[in-house]
Amino acid sequence: MLTLILLLFLGGAIVTWLGGKLSPVVGDLLFLATIIIPAGMFFTGVPVGEVTHLHALGLTLTWGLTPLSYLFSMIVVGLGILLAIYAVPFMKGKQKTGAFYFNFTLSVMSMLGILASKDWVSFFIFWEIMTWSSYLMVILNGKEVQRVGIKYFIFSAIGAYAMLMAMVVMNSQLHSFLLADTFNNFQHLTTGNQILIPILLLVAFGVKSAMMPLHVWAPDAYSNAPMAYTGLFSGALSKMGIYGMVLVMVTMINQLPEGTLIRDIIAWIGGFTAAAATLWAITQDDGKKLLAWSSVGQMGYIIVGVAIGTPLAMLAALFLVVIHAMFKGSLFMVVGAIEKQTGTTDFKEVNGLIRKMPWTFISALISVIALAGIPPLAGFVSKWMLYEALIQNNNYILVILLFFASTAGFLYCYKFLHGYFLGQEEPEWAHVKEAPVAMVIPMLLLALGTFVLGTYPQLLFKPIDAALQYVGYDATGGRLWGESLLFSQWGDVVTLQPILYVVLAVFVFFALFLWFKGTKGTRYVSTKDISTSGELPKEWENLTFKVNFMQPFERAIEPFLKRQVDKYYTAFGNGMEALFEFTRRIYTGNGQTYAIYAVLFLALLLLFRVNLFG
Amino acid sequence: MEYILIKTLEAMATFVLAFIVGMTYGGVVRKITGRAHNRLGPPWYQNFIDAFKLLSKTRGIHHGAMHFLGAAFLMVTSVVSLMIIPVLAPGGDAWYNSWFTNMNFNGDLIFLIYIMTFGPLGMAMGAGQTGNPNSSIGVTRGLSQMVGFEIPWVMALVALMITYKTTSVVDFMNIQRETGTWLMFANPFAFIAAVLAMLGMFRYSPFDIVGAPTELASGPVSENGGKFLFTMMSSGSVFTFAKLVLYVDLFMGGANNLVMLVVKTFLLYMIPVLYGIVSPRYRTEQAVRWFWGWPTFIGLLAILYAVIF
Repeated sequence: MLTLILLLFLGGAIVTWLGGKLSPVVGDLLFLATIIIPAGMFFTGVPVGEVTHLHALGLTLTWGLTPLSYLFSMIVVGLGILLAIYAVPFMKGKQKTGAFYFNFTLSVMSMLGILASKDWVSFFIFWEIMTWSSYLMVILNGKEVQRVGIKYFIFSAIGAYAMLMAMVVMNSQLHSFLLADTFNNFQHLTTGNQILIPILLLVAFGVKSAMMPLHVWAPDAYSNAPMAYTGLFSGALSKMGIYGMVLVMVTMINQLPEGTLIRDIIAWIGGFTAAAATLWAITQDDGKKLLAWSSVGQMGYIIVGVAIGTPLAMLAALFLVVIHAMFKGSLFMVVGAIEKQTGTTDFKEVNGLIRKMPWTFISALISVIALAGIPPLAGFVSKWMLYEALIQNNNYILVILLFFASTAGFLYCYKFLHGYFLGQEEPEWAHVKEAPVAMVIPMLLLALGTFVLGTYPQLLFKPIDAALQYVGYDATGGRLWGESLLFSQWGDVVTLQPILYVVLAVFVFFALFLWFKGTKGTRYVSTKDISTSGELPKEWENLTFKVNFMQPFERAIEPFLKRQVDKYYTAFGNGMEALFEFTRRIYTGNGQTYAIYAVLFLALLLLFRVNLFG
Repeated sequence: MEYILIKTLEAMATFVLAFIVGMTYGGVVRKITGRAHNRLGPPWYQNFIDAFKLLSKTRGIHHGAMHFLGAAFLMVTSVVSLMIIPVLAPGGDAWYNSWFTNMNFNGDLIFLIYIMTFGPLGMAMGAGQTGNPNSSIGVTRGLSQMVGFEIPWVMALVALMITYKTTSVVDFMNIQRETGTWLMFANPFAFIAAVLAMLGMFRYSPFDIVGAPTELASGPVSENGGKFLFTMMSSGSVFTFAKLVLYVDLFMGGANNLVMLVVKTFLLYMIPVLYGIVSPRYRTEQAVRWFWGWPTFIGLLAILYAVIF
């Protein structure tokens, strides 16, 4: 069944591409069919635990789903379907639709392939397909191929080589490519290899999950890819790194005596990623870039949770994995819709869309509240669990760092919403209409999903619990969570359902209180027609506040912003370039130079000959 | 059904208490400020007069849907925090004690930290829709300042959590009753850090950069009048009361009856008020950096103290 699904994806990708040549409508329909039919088959037809063997090229490839990979595959399939529906109107009238559909389908296929792989060979093959398809997406629009594309490619290559090296070492020592064998026989390796292999794998997975200092590709690559793909890129593709990281942490690091030290280091890297990426997100003036940095930051939280590794932290991290896919998928769709309707994503250009694109605004608002971690939405559940886990695991300074990151996150949340939807309404954007229904419904669905999971997180905790039990944790249900309840190891409780009712009751009461006799008989005033403390603004006066939006805060964090990993990489790159420049003086590619070398070499030989034998 | 009705009535009683006390404090503060400035100052009940005047006004204009919802978001924060924070200590023996239980056992400190940011963010949306640039400037300043004072505040809380291995406010109050020591003496550094954070939280000078009357014309509230301003004013009063009660619960053992509650909260409230009367205003980046200076250092000391002892 799994083989068939993967084949359907692969065949569908090619057929879609060819069909798109015939007529765009055929291409659209084939694309939707290619994503939705195998995805539906996946949901209905693939039992967890079933194993398939495939004999090819003298190797046995083993495929099958585990509870852990089932959790991740739900993200891929769910987000894949919604983004596919969104992508059709998004790509309408754009260039290279065929290439987009092809790569999109291949990405979904390769991610499912990674999750289904039970041996390192197929894992690596699918990993490379994923990298390639996402690389082609990043350079799809043909802009900044040199800067963005190459950067992404180099880092992916570093990750791939690290993984390849780890695979080779494991196979040479243990004579097996099976994941299970390498994990179970990990103790038989030498101590050096026991430390080398996890670190190599963590580098490979750290690149994909944009862990600092391997993150520099991410902000550019996320913002350069088409927005209909970036949701999948940030929501699902980067989670493959987390999937690998969970495997490595649980199976390898746990068996090491130095495991706690490595865990602490990774957790600190994650915390630093979260804080620094948040600060960078605040300084961005483009919605795509802002969300891209925010994605890097959110991955930092997840890495912290995975690295801490207590049951509560793992619950928090895996919950955030799913939730992040939902709200960030929705937010990237929002940006895509705005790009589609206005042609720009720069905060400084577009503003005041709230009355023109109300449904997009509602999705953005709900997703942003979930992103900020404010109750009663789902982001809060993971934040609460993560903080409790950190405090109970004696990571006091790390928890302060994360609190800082999360509070600073409110700044970019507000900047995002204000940038697109609030503020002055300019006549320049008076023509803007709400995005097509097929674009609005997926983002609204994802946003509402975070709302539901904020009050009924047990819907998601059940599969997470199954996944954790599979990798060797005790059952957490009833001990760390119940029906709409959260517990911590200390016995602290948050009851989500009554809180939701109170929040809704108070909200509805005061909304009605304000609404009562509020709109009838009153006149709507435009954003020009405001009091501004008694001074009447003139027609020509510009009341738009967009440039240097967070200037006071940026001033406060100025010393920090001077430091960038990117600069060090650039310096390193420049150094290498100087070295290559020197090499080029020798290998000039000029026939005469090489002739001189030959003559000199002969002369040298003669010289020696004279000295030695003369 | 009956249970829900009784709970609702109790919640309303708590709300009315918070409203009256908060509004009175507001008036008293205006009086004290006036006397310190060598003015007569308005009477202590001036805030009630203002509030009911605003409530009775009819409105001629509106600014759009988000503007309506902004004020409602603000009220959600005030009321939900008031419901979660225990108003009176669980061991108190006054006959009205059980009225104020509300939802004390349904959330903890981390929940409170997050729900407290819900309203300002919603309010910021409403302020943004009016299109007044001063409102948005005020919001960005307020959020920046929040990032500032949140660090020492969370450090103080984490220090307490480390020592007593709980994050529940009710548990902290029980611990203080059992040991007989207020936490402000048990971990003095945590108390100092929390009080320094409080200066920013209550937004009196030198941290009144959000509403800064001379620069921003009251900032986020500037396009509001009538019922909107009434809602914001009462939300502010209730929220002030809730935050003061939280401080009293955490550091001063809570209060057994309403008289003690008023005395303790009033004494605590005088710290930011009196400091504010004699202070000029910081710039935003100065305020943020101020919080990341000494208050954060003292917060670190609090954590060290908690880890070592």
